[in-house]
Amino acid sequence: MASKTATKDVITLKGSAAIVSEFFGYAANSILYNRGVYPEECFVKVKKYGLPMLLIEDDAVKAFLACLTSQISEWLESGKLQRVVLVIMSKASSEVLERWNFNIETDNEVVEKGVSRAKSDKEIMREIQAIMRQIASSITYLPCLDEPCKGKENASLSLSLSLSLFMCCPFVSGVFDVLAYTDTDLEIPVTWMESDAKLILNPQMVKLHSFDTKIHKVDTLVSYKNDEWDEQ
Amino acid sequence: MILRTPPKKRKSEPLPAITADNQLVIYEDPNPESPHQVKADFLEALSSNEKEVDSLQSKLEQVNEEMQRKEVESKKFESRLRFVEQELAAAKGREQMLQKQYMKDVTDFQERHQKLLKDYSELEVKLKKEVNIRKNLESTATAAEEKALILEEKLQKLTEIAEREKKHLQNELSYFQNDSRLSVSKINAERELFECRAINAEKEAELFKRQLFELKNQLEECIQKKNEAENKLLSLNVPTQEPNSEGTRIRIKNLQDELRNYESEVQEARKLKSFHANAELLKEKISEERFRREQAEAELIKVQESQTKVDKLQDELMPWKSMIKEIPGAECCEDIPKKFAVMQKELVESMLKVGEVNGRLKELEITLEKALLDKQDAETQLGLAKKKEEEMFLELKRLELTVTSITGERDRLWALIATYEKEAAIAGKMDGTSGTGGADENRVKELELSLAEKEHMVSELEHSFCEQKEVIGNQHREIELLSERLNNEARRIKSLEREGYRLRSEISLLESKLGHGDYSAANTKVLRMANTLGVDNEAKQTIEALRDELQKTQARLKAVEEFKGQTDAGHLVDSSITEKLAELKKQIATLEKREERYKTVFAEKISIFRRACCALFGYKIVMDDQQRPNGIPVTFFTLHSIYAQSDDEKLEFEYESGNTNIVMNTYTSQPDIAQQMEIYVRKWNAIPAFTANLTVESFSRTTIS
Repeated sequence: MASKTATKDVITLKGSAAIVSEFFGYAANSILYNRGVYPEECFVKVKKYGLPMLLIEDDAVKAFLACLTSQISEWLESGKLQRVVLVIMSKASSEVLERWNFNIETDNEVVEKGVSRAKSDKEIMREIQAIMRQIASSITYLPCLDEPCKGKENASLSLSLSLSLFMCCPFVSGVFDVLAYTDTDLEIPVTWMESDAKLILNPQMVKLHSFDTKIHKVDTLVSYKNDEWDEQ
Repeated sequence: MILRTPPKKRKSEPLPAITADNQLVIYEDPNPESPHQVKADFLEALSSNEKEVDSLQSKLEQVNEEMQRKEVESKKFESRLRFVEQELAAAKGREQMLQKQYMKDVTDFQERHQKLLKDYSELEVKLKKEVNIRKNLESTATAAEEKALILEEKLQKLTEIAEREKKHLQNELSYFQNDSRLSVSKINAERELFECRAINAEKEAELFKRQLFELKNQLEECIQKKNEAENKLLSLNVPTQEPNSEGTRIRIKNLQDELRNYESEVQEARKLKSFHANAELLKEKISEERFRREQAEAELIKVQESQTKVDKLQDELMPWKSMIKEIPGAECCEDIPKKFAVMQKELVESMLKVGEVNGRLKELEITLEKALLDKQDAETQLGLAKKKEEEMFLELKRLELTVTSITGERDRLWALIATYEKEAAIAGKMDGTSGTGGADENRVKELELSLAEKEHMVSELEHSFCEQKEVIGNQHREIELLSERLNNEARRIKSLEREGYRLRSEISLLESKLGHGDYSAANTKVLRMANTLGVDNEAKQTIEALRDELQKTQARLKAVEEFKGQTDAGHLVDSSITEKLAELKKQIATLEKREERYKTVFAEKISIFRRACCALFGYKIVMDDQQRPNGIPVTFFTLHSIYAQSDDEKLEFEYESGNTNIVMNTYTSQPDIAQQMEIYVRKWNAIPAFTANLTVESFSRTTIS
């Protein structure tokens, strides 16, 4: 959590990066649960942000997300991270169905000079809570991704043999990937590589709430492919 | 008042000293005195009267003078009155003129206001219409833009598809050319094969002919023999009447047997002949069938390829057809670019129209703003006019009050003058009473005082009028400044509103771009994680395997140390442990033997397998495991064809994590081989087909040579 001094409201760059990366981890889990990318039994309930949050139990996915959040935290501390996008694609056609866009604005003065800012933790938690509620309620307007189950016995096998490129989803025909928009001068780590932006043609967009730690401001936006029913 | 000395009282009726004709009346004293006294008294009285008369005359003259002065003053007052009256009349006239003018101005302003209101309402209606038109045009423009974008994208896609098709067709053409060359070479090789077969078949046919000829000869001999036998039989049948019938019968039987044998041999020869003929026919049929089968297979392959091509072309044609359906007026592919051009022109024209409409809208907005400003100006001017009117009314009232005060003063003056005239008349009648001088002086003083007061009032009024004029002028200037400031602020507000609208549209556009995921390649790059889970899995597996080995080695170490400790401590060695050790050693020995046996068996099997592969596929495969500098293991395979004419004719492949890639060498860099490699390996990724083709070519080369 945020590095706290004697007074609770002071937030440092490291603390803010930890808050944002932690938020992204929980948000990714919430999206995977709510959009049905993984079956419900793969998730376990925990209490966070004053809400019951669902975290995936699968070790491979857990490790993937943990690696991801640690790298995001590092980039946030360096001030090089501009955006994080969680992409949900069709397994059959590799067509991008949804893009969960987390835009990040960094206070460069904090990064350059190492100053700290003041904001109440409660207020930040409240703002994050609002975003989590909106993610949970997004199923009311986002198009369905569900398709007939292919067989649960394949679940563990496919998960254990899955590559990180595509987290094979045994329950629905969707896979997810995470993209990071960074500055061009950032040195690419060994476990990362350059990619295309995986855009959606003529998407529908819904802007969600944002939260601000006074050092990092995170705007959330979901863009999704027009459903055929909606087009008709 | 002219004081008169009261006459002495007399008992008798006093006689008037002066008659009405102003003649002296002789006073006859009833009490006569001495004439000298009377004369003296008379003279005294006369002198006093004369003195009085003189004084009265002087007074009269003074009074006359004063009268004249008063008359002059009254004339002056009259003239002044008339002047004031004229001024009043002029002021009234001016006031009426001003009132008329103000009424005119008010009516003009009201008319202008009504006109402006009408214009404003008309402009509002026009503006609404224009706004609606603009909205419609904007929506059509956006729809047209979207359509244009879609069409452009489609066009780009189609052009890309067309280019790809061209390239594909060119590649196919080259492929077909190569294929045709290959097929020609194949056909030539087959032709040569068939020629060889034909030669062989001819040779066989000649052999069969010779055999046939021999058989025919045999047959003829047999027939001759048969005829001879028959003749013999016939000849023998004639002398059957002779007594040696049993011998003849035996001979006949023997001959019949020989005949039968010969017949059977003839039949067999015929059968052989028929078999040979059938065999030849069958061979020909077989060869024909093989040829047909090969043709059919080739045609099948071609049919499959053509079907796939047709399917591809149909798939590629579908978007064209859909585009033709979407584009109005397009009937064939050739119409599409023309229609695109037409639609682009229409789009440009519509954009121009939209621009023009926007320009008109802006002009209308500007006129509306001007009208609003004019309206505001008119309203302010109306307000000012109303204020002026009110001020004028107030001034009128003030002037009326002044007029009434002046008329009152005039009446008072007239009254004064009348009283003065009366008094003057009375004074004239009284002739010399001294009391009139003081009254005249008082009246004069009063008039002077009133004049001074009036003059003072007039000066004050003028002063106040000037001050008010200045104040009004300052207020007008302030109002003008404020109205200018208002206009500037209104313009600034509108410009800010326009900027705000533009910024909001920019923000929405940026947000849409943000949502879409667009980014600037100059400032941003997109990253994703690569194969971490796979690496993690492998690492985990290796780690687990290493951990298992570590645990096993640790257990072994412990056992060894325990064993050592037990031995070092000098304890008695348990026989069971030695037995166990011996057993373990035996097991190790058997396992080692088994391992060696497995190795030999494996080596044998591998050699058999390699020989079989070489015999079946025509290539000797040499496998070589190596490791790259980055530690990744790579296996190199070297293939030598059994039909190779030199040791340099070898193919080299590298196998790495499931991927097989060909390695260039002197043999593969030859143009023929490189061409085949390009087609089979690079394009079609069919290494077996490549190797099979090379095998056939090298076989045909060796057989021809």
